[in-house]
Amino acid sequence: MKTSFALTFALLLPALPALADDQANTAQTALLAASCANCHGTDGKQAGVIPAIANRPATALENQLMEFKHSDSTRATVMPRIAKGYSDDELKALAQYFSRIGSAQQR
Amino acid sequence: MTKSNIKNQGLSSSRRDLLKLMGAASALPLLGACSSLGGPRSKDLSARVVVVGGGFGGATAAKYLKRNAPDLDVTLIEPNKVFYTCPFSNLVLAGMRTMDSIGHNYNELRELGVRVVHTTAQDVDPVSRTVSLGDGSSIRYEKLLLSPGIDIRWNAIEGYDQAAAEQAPHAWKAGDQTRLLRRQIEAMDDGGVFVLTAPANPFRCPPGPYERASLVAHYLSQQKPRSKVLILDAKDNFSKQGLFMQGWKDVHGDRIEWVGLSGDGKVTRVDAGKREVETEFGTIHKASVLNVVPPQKAGFIADRAGVTNESGWVPVDPVTFESTQVKDIYVVGDATIAAPMPKSGFAANAQGKVAAAAIIAALEGQRPLEPSWANTCYSLINPEYGISVAAVYRIQEGLIHESSGGVSPSDANATFRKLEADYASGWYSAITQDTWGTRR
Repeated sequence: MKTSFALTFALLLPALPALADDQANTAQTALLAASCANCHGTDGKQAGVIPAIANRPATALENQLMEFKHSDSTRATVMPRIAKGYSDDELKALAQYFSRIGSAQQR
Repeated sequence: MTKSNIKNQGLSSSRRDLLKLMGAASALPLLGACSSLGGPRSKDLSARVVVVGGGFGGATAAKYLKRNAPDLDVTLIEPNKVFYTCPFSNLVLAGMRTMDSIGHNYNELRELGVRVVHTTAQDVDPVSRTVSLGDGSSIRYEKLLLSPGIDIRWNAIEGYDQAAAEQAPHAWKAGDQTRLLRRQIEAMDDGGVFVLTAPANPFRCPPGPYERASLVAHYLSQQKPRSKVLILDAKDNFSKQGLFMQGWKDVHGDRIEWVGLSGDGKVTRVDAGKREVETEFGTIHKASVLNVVPPQKAGFIADRAGVTNESGWVPVDPVTFESTQVKDIYVVGDATIAAPMPKSGFAANAQGKVAAAAIIAALEGQRPLEPSWANTCYSLINPEYGISVAAVYRIQEGLIHESSGGVSPSDANATFRKLEADYASGWYSAITQDTWGTRR
């Protein structure tokens, strides 16, 4: 049973990588992104003195995150300390993730 | 166990065989493929998860369990209909906030489909997987998540027991203790001394005692300007120490005095009736208001469940936050041993999300996702002067590791300090929205 299941599965594999990658990455990125909610609200939608990050252009989010990580911006407070904890690829994935979340709620 | 879970276990062993064939490198995409083949992941997930404790850790876990797997049967056990947060309770003590503004209800969790039961959890039987409740009933679980918070170690300091706390409040669990301490501070005469005793590590909210001293000093500077604050500390170093001391000098002059362990700051005896404390080497300090932040341990339900070790805290698997002592019991928040992550509401929220994801993965028969956590602790020196410590935590060689972080710069200007004070309020709004769905 196990063998036949594995074999069936293995046969299906060539058709699947894109879908599979996407699925795993989404769950993984969602967990990575969950940390952002502590200051930006659930799904990054809370607008206030700390800005909402949902539904912004991915390039804008990515540029901002890269600036936090790589340049010693005097304007920012905690984000330079936080952004350095993630790889560039992770920051890009986070930018993509939040850019795809529906429009920010108005308070 | 439900049929669907048996099916999941079957899938799981098949996956393991397959992983052996494929090698570990391709593992993650494959697991993703499995769940997409099985249709929406929630379809097979009707297991019952019981969450005990509706604070930052438990409420967040319940919410994210239900958001990520809507068919799960999630029950939250929490005695209080309104949960008062320790974060921002120092602002209540200083008259900057009302109790209502730090109280949060469970309406959003109910809307999400979480069954919220307002009673206490009395006992856990990990063999029959049953939690006994204060209303006499019991509830079975397939996965149990405990967010027990802290309990006070009564009599760890001689003379400091539950009765003493009615005269010399700890106010280290927000609610009636916060109200009591606020009334005492308001009733204090001008010229009085507010004495705060701080414990050795580890304890809930490492910068909390020092923010409290700061904000009480702020209130006194406005209302009772001849009064002082004395901190008697059982340690020589504390969170954000440099920033606090600089802030005290900048803002409060000599109103706040701190005495560390090596200056004979460790309190060994409390006389709550006389509002007196005695330190290690026999010095007696008399207080007008006495606030004892006592030694702590994991909340009692953790003991009942058998997940605490000899330290009184809960060892957990750092990847999943499952107890290392009892299978299928996950523990998050202040009760856990999760250093270098602090015992903070922020960390409890972050751990709740990681544990929720790990529970879902386990029920699906999948390997846990790679966890990550963030933490930011803001503290106020006064309403215009905020400082922070922030960090990101990842797993490195099987242990929780700080991958980045740091404190506010020591040379920041007033604009920066004001911005961090404003961000503290923004953070409070966001994390309480994320945890309870409330708007503050």
